[in-house]
Amino acid sequence: MTGGSQYVVAAYAVIWFLVLAYIVMLGARSARVSRQVEAISRLLERKGIAPDDGGDE
Amino acid sequence: MPSSTTEKTRSGRVPGARAALIWGVIATVLVTVATVGVFLVAPEDADQGVIQRIFYFHVAIALVSLVAFAVACVAGILYLRTRSARWDDVGDAAIRLGMLFSVLVVITGSIWAKASWGTWWVWTDPRLVTYLIVVLIYAAYFVLRSSVDDDRRMRYAAIYAIAGFASVPLSFYSVRVANSFVHPVVFTRGGAAMPGSMLFWFVVSVAAMLALFIALLEVELIGRRTERALRRVALALENA
Repeated sequence: MTGGSQYVVAAYAVIWFLVLAYIVMLGARSARVSRQVEAISRLLERKGIAPDDGGDE
Repeated sequence: MPSSTTEKTRSGRVPGARAALIWGVIATVLVTVATVGVFLVAPEDADQGVIQRIFYFHVAIALVSLVAFAVACVAGILYLRTRSARWDDVGDAAIRLGMLFSVLVVITGSIWAKASWGTWWVWTDPRLVTYLIVVLIYAAYFVLRSSVDDDRRMRYAAIYAIAGFASVPLSFYSVRVANSFVHPVVFTRGGAAMPGSMLFWFVVSVAAMLALFIALLEVELIGRRTERALRRVALALENA
């Protein structure tokens, strides 16, 4: 690469890497929420309140 | 029963999901168009050559980071007026995204500085230093949030978001007041110091970054609303 194009590539690579990392972080939080929902669902079952499966089947 | 199924579907809809999807699609389209335009269509700068192409996203991201801090300031005012946790969520998410964009501005700016001036950072440039001060002020926001709890946290965070915004005009106008040669002013009262073809792709880049900010903000808010609702359900179950 010539004429400083490596700097341009580096700048845009950093932008997309950090934005993607942020989206991955949001995804990880979504997975944590999903685990919490499952825990609450199990708690409901233990208390004898059968949770609705949301009609998935 | 059909009515029961309809109710289930309606209640199962996540608030804000539609807005997040729409903004996500808009952001994807605009970012793609802006990237193609910046690299393949926009003319090459006669002075800086290919390095100038960093300008489009670097400045667009800088502007959107300041918009994010402005959103947090308005959300802080609305929280103090209404005491609604919703505005605390908006303020916190906006500052989080503002920090993401600010970090990107500092890194891409340093890369551009190295390519253009031969150094990663110039401590004598008012724009660079005042922008770093803004970033550090908003970094302290997270320290404040984690050091106090519950209602006080929301109140203090709102006040800090409002007070912190005072640093934004300082950064914005510093370069104009100091008349820096190192960091030239591109946009003045007389208009933009660039040809129309460059300005067009810059505007598209700003729109793309703004749409990306709104899409990420919507997703952040969905996550926060869901977590809050889950905490309420868990608490109710523990007390049941």
